[in-house]
Amino acid sequence: MDPVTVPATLDSLQWIGRYVLDAAARAGLDRSRAYRLRLAVDEVATNIITHGAELGTASPTIGLSARLADDALTIALEDSGPAYDPMQLPKPEGLDRPLEERQLGGLGVYLAVSAVDRFEYERVDGCNRNLFSMVRPAAQ
Amino acid sequence: MGFSATMQVTEGVAKITLSGELDAEAAPAFKAEIEKAITQRPRRLALLLDQLEYVASAGLRVLIFAKQKLGGDVDIFVVGAQPAVAETLRLTGFDYAVVMLKEYDAAQIEAV
Repeated sequence: MDPVTVPATLDSLQWIGRYVLDAAARAGLDRSRAYRLRLAVDEVATNIITHGAELGTASPTIGLSARLADDALTIALEDSGPAYDPMQLPKPEGLDRPLEERQLGGLGVYLAVSAVDRFEYERVDGCNRNLFSMVRPAAQ
Repeated sequence: MGFSATMQVTEGVAKITLSGELDAEAAPAFKAEIEKAITQRPRRLALLLDQLEYVASAGLRVLIFAKQKLGGDVDIFVVGAQPAVAETLRLTGFDYAVVMLKEYDAAQIEAV
């Protein structure tokens, strides 16, 4: 699949989701694992878009690519905003607390990192690169 | 795929039907229906999710908002969640805060 660039706006999320699901289908991921991969990418993309908008430093675009190796599918999400490592964000607290007492922060990243087999963040050439990998089913 | 949310209140029970994909772009539309429901001061809230294909944390945040605004006396029922959506609710502990039902149970939801 060719890499693509999309505007870093909320209306790109549906497009990003379709791209990831398409890559997942090509990789032979089952429905549940495809869903999880899509969720992870969506959560981090959402953070990139909303965080940049809040700070007024939004990277105007997000780069998206898929690498299909024999054993795994890796989706890369890139933006040129200030360094923003999802793993450094606060973890959600009180998942066992009543909803009325819940903190709002950290849920998205928690979902993203728990959903995929492997998540990595890199800062490369002034860009944030988020890598989401899912192991492919063994060849029949 | 898009998203839609429609709300109706019958005899104190607010029902919101969600369909499509509830991501961060769609979450304000869900929140708007929750706010409409709140003005009706319902005694119960039922979220009908059998047509909801996907939910992200932005959607879950609207649930937190709903619970906080409605208060502890108003039970929230989540009806017919698809497996992946139900799994997300369990993973994030939301299954403790709402009543999860496979089907609409009028006896339970509408009981006075």
